[in-house]
Amino acid sequence: MSTPGKLKRKAKGERPYFFDDPNIDRVVSMVMGLAGEVAVLHDRLDTLERLVAQHGGPARAALDTYRPDATVAASRAAWRESFLGEVLRIVEIEVEAMSSGDTQPYEQAIAAVENNGRARRQKK
Amino acid sequence: MNMPTENQAQAEHRALPPTTHDEYARQEFVRSFKEHLVKHVHGGNRAVYEAKVKPAFQQQHQRAPQTRFEVRDAMVREPHYQMFSTLLRTSQEMMWSSCQIPVQRNLTALNQAIAKRPKKARGSLTLDAALETPKYHTAVDIHCQPGGYHTEFVAEDASAGMVYDRAVYLYAMGQMGPYNNDIGASIVSWLQQQHPTFKPRRILDLGCSVGHSTVPYAQAFPKAEIHAIDVAAPMLRYAHARAEDLGVRVHYSQQNAERTNFADGSFDLVVSHILLHETSQTALQNIVQECHRLLGAGGLMVHAETPPYKGMDPFDAFLLDWDTRNNNEPFWARSHEVDLRALSRQAGFDPDLKFEELIPSAFQIAKAQRSNKFQGGDFGGGGLWFIYGNRK
Ligand SMILES: C[S@@+](CC[C@H](N)C(=O)[O-])C[C@H]1O[C@@H](n2cnc3c(N)ncnc32)[C@H](O)[C@@H]1O
Repeated sequence: MSTPGKLKRKAKGERPYFFDDPNIDRVVSMVMGLAGEVAVLHDRLDTLERLVAQHGGPARAALDTYRPDATVAASRAAWRESFLGEVLRIVEIEVEAMSSGDTQPYEQAIAAVENNGRARRQKK
Repeated sequence: MNMPTENQAQAEHRALPPTTHDEYARQEFVRSFKEHLVKHVHGGNRAVYEAKVKPAFQQQHQRAPQTRFEVRDAMVREPHYQMFSTLLRTSQEMMWSSCQIPVQRNLTALNQAIAKRPKKARGSLTLDAALETPKYHTAVDIHCQPGGYHTEFVAEDASAGMVYDRAVYLYAMGQMGPYNNDIGASIVSWLQQQHPTFKPRRILDLGCSVGHSTVPYAQAFPKAEIHAIDVAAPMLRYAHARAEDLGVRVHYSQQNAERTNFADGSFDLVVSHILLHETSQTALQNIVQECHRLLGAGGLMVHAETPPYKGMDPFDAFLLDWDTRNNNEPFWARSHEVDLRALSRQAGFDPDLKFEELIPSAFQIAKAQRSNKFQGGDFGGGGLWFIYGNRK
């Protein structure tokens, strides 16, 4: 039921969960929510530092009306890009491994070394 | 027309809800999050498919997967695909949430500002409180916007339009330009190139939402009378305020495109932009039929969409189909598989005058930076739009 004047927060329709255990999906959602709030804090701090440098002292009102110009916006976008790379590192290193063919099981890789550097022929 | 690039911020106009520092930063995060998924996570699906899923399928069936369903059944068990999907879905939820926050904070004042009509309006707004919202819009909230296009959370509410205007910019990651108008602008430039002598006098835009695609027609054909309809009142209230703010003349009215109150033969150009994939099969037939009724002899119907699955690699079709189940786009898949020739014929058009093609995005300049792929979660990244239409 909706309360007048209150925007609904959930989209109507059953939400899909992708992992066998839906709690994994929930944790991902929390982690990304947290990441978003960290990015907000980062931008706020960044603004503060720039304003301090500009005015010699922080002003709350100036902070709230501050709008990044194109250069600042681009540098923040770049910051978020690498920040996301860190947060999502586990997903992305797996993609990298796959694309570079770094998929040999651990034991096999070790066995290949112990086999005088000659990898045993593997079935593809 | 100026040529925006993805790095340009969304163009501000009076109707766009103001944001505080942190609200804006939160929205910018969502945009970066979506871009990051496209650039660094999306490709992993293809990599897993080629390296693992396809060979396993081939081993078992002595052939590669032939349909997007076969690809799907094999992919849903892949951890990378699961992680990609849960991230993409989360980004979509965060997008709506981040756009709702500034609207909710100031709802009454924002609605008042939108309701306040300029003394000398160029265009007009005609609402019809009795119009029924089609069932295909109330079954689930389309592309996960809570409350969909139609819900009014207070009387005279335009909040769905406010949230939508900002969210579309984040969803397309700016790839539809600072005015979110790439689809309309692309058809306009296609018309100017392919039909240079065509000077439509009356134009109708179906399912216009907040008028992102409508405005380019008003700019390109200043002498034409432009009408735009939608079933959702919150969208139209916002669309009207926005058009007045941008200084263009558009007549917005709340009507169902399946059956409008315009006279037979009263338009020489009827267009829609990403409307068809959000309607049911029956509604789709009704809409094309209605286009036929509304056009005068020699008139032109043009609908823009993302491309059909036909002839597409099953893996690409599988990923393009992601939204059907996972982003509450229940009619997306079916609308990409319609027999367009039959659709035209049933509606009364001469099927020999039917056309379908891929047309370039108006924002050529941004093209080099795009992924140049149609893929789930990369809206506008294709750099091309699919159009289907018919001359009468
Ligand atoms: C994806 S939006 C269209 C976006 C818009 N044309 C643009 O290019 O920015 C789909 C819109 O179609 C409207 N709609 C859906 N079915 C409709 C119908 N039968 N008649 C009129 N509008 C409809 C929805 O309310 C929604 O605003």
